[in-house]
Amino acid sequence: MSPYLLIPVLPLLAALVLALGGRRLGERSHRVGIPAVAGSFGLSIAALAEVASRGPISVPLYRLLDVGNLAVSVGLYVDQLTVLLLPLVTGVSFVVHVYSSRYMTGDPRYRRFFAVMALFTFAMTMLVMSNNLLVTYMCWEIMGICSYLLISHWAERPSAGRAATKAFLVNAVADVGLGFGVVLTFATYGTLDIQQILAMASSIDGQTIALLGLEIERNTVIALCLLSGAVGKSAQVPMHVWLPFAMEAPTPVSALIHAATMVNAGPFLLVRMSPLLLLAPAAMVVIAVVGAVTALYGAFVSLTQSDIKKLLAYSTISQIGFMVFACGVGAFGAAVFHLLAHGFLKGFLFLSTGDALSATGSHSHGTPAVRGAHLRPLAIGALLLACVPPFVFFSGPYERIWSAQQIPSAGVAFWVIGLATVFLTALYAFRGVVSLFGTSVGRSLSVRPRLSSIAHVPVLAVVAILATAFLTGLWSLFSEFLGPALAGGPPAEVPSGITLRMAVPLAVAVAGWGFAYYRHLNPVSVPVPRRGWAKTAYVLLLNKLYFDEIHQAVAVQPTLRFSNWLWRDLDLRLIDRAVHGVATLVRHCARWLAGTAETLLIERPVHGVASLARIWSGWLERTAETGLIERAPHVAASGFVRASGWFWRIIDRRGTDEALQRVGRLADDAGETLQRIGPRTLRHHLVIIVCWLALAIGLTYWLII
Amino acid sequence: MTSLLTDHLISSLIAVPFLGIAAILLVRGQAWARWCALASSLVTLGLALALWSGFDTTIPGMQFVERVEWMPTFNIHYAVGVDGISLVLVLLTALLAPLCVLASWASIESKVKAFMSLVLLVEGAMIVVFTAMDLFLFFMLWEVTMIPMYFMIILWGGPERVRAGIKFVIYSLTGSLLLLVGILGLYLQADRTFDLQEIIATGISSDAQTWIFAALFFGFAIKLPMIPFHSWLPDAHSEAPTAGSVILAGVLLKMGGYGFLRICLPALPEGSDHFAPVLLWLSVVGILYGGCLALAQTDLKKLVAYSSISHMGFVTLGIFAFNGEGIQGAVMQMFAHGVSTGAMFLAIGLLYDRTHSRMISDYGGLHKAMPRFVVLLSIFSIASFGLPGTANFVGEFLVLVGTSYGGMLKVLLAMGGIVLAAGYMLWMLQRVALGPPSTPAGAMLPDLGGRELLTLAPLAIVVFTVGLYPAVLTETVELTVNGLVEQVAAALEAAGSPTD
Repeated sequence: MSPYLLIPVLPLLAALVLALGGRRLGERSHRVGIPAVAGSFGLSIAALAEVASRGPISVPLYRLLDVGNLAVSVGLYVDQLTVLLLPLVTGVSFVVHVYSSRYMTGDPRYRRFFAVMALFTFAMTMLVMSNNLLVTYMCWEIMGICSYLLISHWAERPSAGRAATKAFLVNAVADVGLGFGVVLTFATYGTLDIQQILAMASSIDGQTIALLGLEIERNTVIALCLLSGAVGKSAQVPMHVWLPFAMEAPTPVSALIHAATMVNAGPFLLVRMSPLLLLAPAAMVVIAVVGAVTALYGAFVSLTQSDIKKLLAYSTISQIGFMVFACGVGAFGAAVFHLLAHGFLKGFLFLSTGDALSATGSHSHGTPAVRGAHLRPLAIGALLLACVPPFVFFSGPYERIWSAQQIPSAGVAFWVIGLATVFLTALYAFRGVVSLFGTSVGRSLSVRPRLSSIAHVPVLAVVAILATAFLTGLWSLFSEFLGPALAGGPPAEVPSGITLRMAVPLAVAVAGWGFAYYRHLNPVSVPVPRRGWAKTAYVLLLNKLYFDEIHQAVAVQPTLRFSNWLWRDLDLRLIDRAVHGVATLVRHCARWLAGTAETLLIERPVHGVASLARIWSGWLERTAETGLIERAPHVAASGFVRASGWFWRIIDRRGTDEALQRVGRLADDAGETLQRIGPRTLRHHLVIIVCWLALAIGLTYWLII
Repeated sequence: MTSLLTDHLISSLIAVPFLGIAAILLVRGQAWARWCALASSLVTLGLALALWSGFDTTIPGMQFVERVEWMPTFNIHYAVGVDGISLVLVLLTALLAPLCVLASWASIESKVKAFMSLVLLVEGAMIVVFTAMDLFLFFMLWEVTMIPMYFMIILWGGPERVRAGIKFVIYSLTGSLLLLVGILGLYLQADRTFDLQEIIATGISSDAQTWIFAALFFGFAIKLPMIPFHSWLPDAHSEAPTAGSVILAGVLLKMGGYGFLRICLPALPEGSDHFAPVLLWLSVVGILYGGCLALAQTDLKKLVAYSSISHMGFVTLGIFAFNGEGIQGAVMQMFAHGVSTGAMFLAIGLLYDRTHSRMISDYGGLHKAMPRFVVLLSIFSIASFGLPGTANFVGEFLVLVGTSYGGMLKVLLAMGGIVLAAGYMLWMLQRVALGPPSTPAGAMLPDLGGRELLTLAPLAIVVFTVGLYPAVLTETVELTVNGLVEQVAAALEAAGSPTD
């Protein structure tokens, strides 16, 4: 048993203890969560050290499923990619736990909050350590439900419940793609072990699958399925709509789940499966386009947002779009770098925001100096954020795209989109800070910073180290370290020093700042455009290009309307009514049988037979007395007369007719009684039919014998 | 004594509920009736667990077989035994019965003795159905299960109970009639024997297989139910008292799936193969159809009832995939659905006891007044849509993998059913549990008490245990299913080779 097993297990145990621990824990719940996550963080650092020195570690755990051809073993696979993400996940989780222990003080569901946070930490660490696609998928979904539970934490707000449902459902739709990808991967590779899949990927190259009449390469479909999962979990266009609403969650949750860790699962999965993606160039183009569109979209919408948490949410959308974009163009190392830097920074930004917001809301007196103390970390973070995207341009693959793109214009397009995002990021980051300073004028703050002062030091330190390392040429170290975990190893040509092409992105970012600063110093008299295309664009962006409304109109409402139609018109009117129709038909048949058919077919023939017998016996009597006696021998005649007299007596007078009438009356009475007592239900009619049938059969039987 | 018990474990398992009924009828007072019912259902559960622990997972085929001549003239035997599939369903039955008794503890106030006897009767009958190796015995007890359900619905049910009860009986009778025709067909084709092993060994001609399968199909499809034979289910489920709904959804529906697995696949492989493509698509349609309908419901019990139609679609989808993953998935899905849907009905029953309303719109913000209840309701809701880590996920995933051998489109569409499931369950949760309390009275509802917690918590534990360590059940089922798959494959190959 490897000690690294404890990285996911400690938070899991904490979650269990908190979930089952009862009310006694109450306000002390953080005392369970914090040490567990701290332990995980320590072990993550140890894992980083060990992997750096000895290479990937693999720890088999247990056989989850062994059914037919499907064998799923849960196990840990700790490679360079994993150990880079583990400190991010456990580190931010630790900081957020500490922060929350103060932030959530007095919350009635304090214990629930920490339980779910610990469960989330378990799921995310397990996700990055998993060696099996099915386990990855499972953790993916568990993170989703944790996100659901935390968004709906303040459940009294109707908006929180709606936001939580929306977040989970949007993800559920996207995860159909991922789940389908898992099944298809198994159908293609016969295994779900990630390393085996990646090793076999090239042998599958070229195999196709028929889907909806199209022949598509299997690897392409799998890559697109992975993208579908990433589009949901990492809030890419057009499935990004849930993330801004997820800001209903308490701010520490936004920091941990909706900024620093869970939303990064998409790029992580793409990087993890990078060797497979490289075999699917068509899918790569789609990935790049989705990422680029999202990056631009998020950045533009961020420009118009006035709510600081929503602004940060769109910024997250944009930044992750940038990571996906990087994956799409093959710059996996750059994506990971961006992921790390952005994760730390965004988590930090959210925590500072939480501080600033709670401070703003709580006091009305104070000094600008204290206000500055609150906002300074936010400002620093925001400005650093603008610096992150340009770094992506330093990685090798961009160079390759620049030089060796099949269609030169596509390379240019990528560059233009990338640079536009860099510019916009700088612009909105600066604007966000400025607007925050601006709006809080007159509402001064006097609460001491709770945690940002503690948290921003290590976080900023990490970012600073990363940035410095990068700028001083340690990028090559980073990419060399990460290289073995990526497709195609480290980039072949790592540029050293700052070339012109690298200076461009930085210059663009600086230009973005400059522009924002200029606008700040010289504010236009009308901040919101009033007319023309500018107004149209502004309104469009303010409404986020109406994605929410489009989702409602295209997916949600039609599904609900269709379901209602299906239920009321098809199920109740058609199927159920058909069933009832059959029942009614049977009932009518029964009534007809009991009424018309009974008299026509059974009573009349019976009476007919009886009267026939009467006529015949009368005839017998008459002929016997008038003609037969005189014509036939006397003895025979008298015998016959005696016999026929007996026959007449039995049959006509005391026999059939009377008995028949008596039984008939009885049956009528019984039938009437049954009809009287029975409500109009099928059951009674059935009883009546059976009675009548029994009577009729009995009578006929008696007559024949 | 011990050897007597171990030699006749299944018979004891069957006898205990009936002894319980006898005890209930003998004792005085309702309180004792409840305790008798609980005791006998718990003893049954104990015996079922003993059966499970004694079950040897390394031997294929029937175990604990008991065989006594019953009506020699017609070659009818009392023959019972279990294999992996039966065992899982016996466990499910035995697990749910005590919970049904507990759920009816306070909510059934009139004719308690009768009600408890009916619960035990249906439990006993169901165990026989799941262990019978003789088709006559199987059919007889199949019919017997219907009677207590009918009385439960029309005597203790909701406002529309009489209509629902009659609908249920007539539907079931129609199905049973065709089932009887099918079973008699098997009897005649297999040279006058009701013994399932002998029937399987006989090898029935292809033509006969087709029509016998068609007859049996109606019997099983109505019970399961597959669309378009489902319209009895929403009425019966929603009008039945809590324990009735739990038994219906939890166990009774599984008789259909069990019938397919026990009779159709081994005895009629060609018939099954012949109809499989249609049935697979019918299952996919059922998954989506049931999901859509559940989305449209305003009544909690009907929502869960329609979701059952959707979930049972996965069962048939797995069965007619004809491979190990699919069939094991179907068995897992049957178990998981029994547990999670049974629990949903139990939970709704607890809510109904408090407010006497089943309408979603009458609830809101329950998290405030009933936090424990909301936690459990959330657990069963997320289990219902197959969140990884719950037993339902294992079932659904295995079924999907099994289906993938026969085409990816069905997999994709069936996954749509999972999204729908997430939709109706979470939407229901949002309206019932989250938000501000809908009424002042809603904010004052008492949270779950000890007995109520005891009703729901065991099922939550089962859901997660099986979800995180599925081997606990898959090992039991594995050899049985492998044997079945090989049998079907061999039969199909033998049937296919002469024509080639």
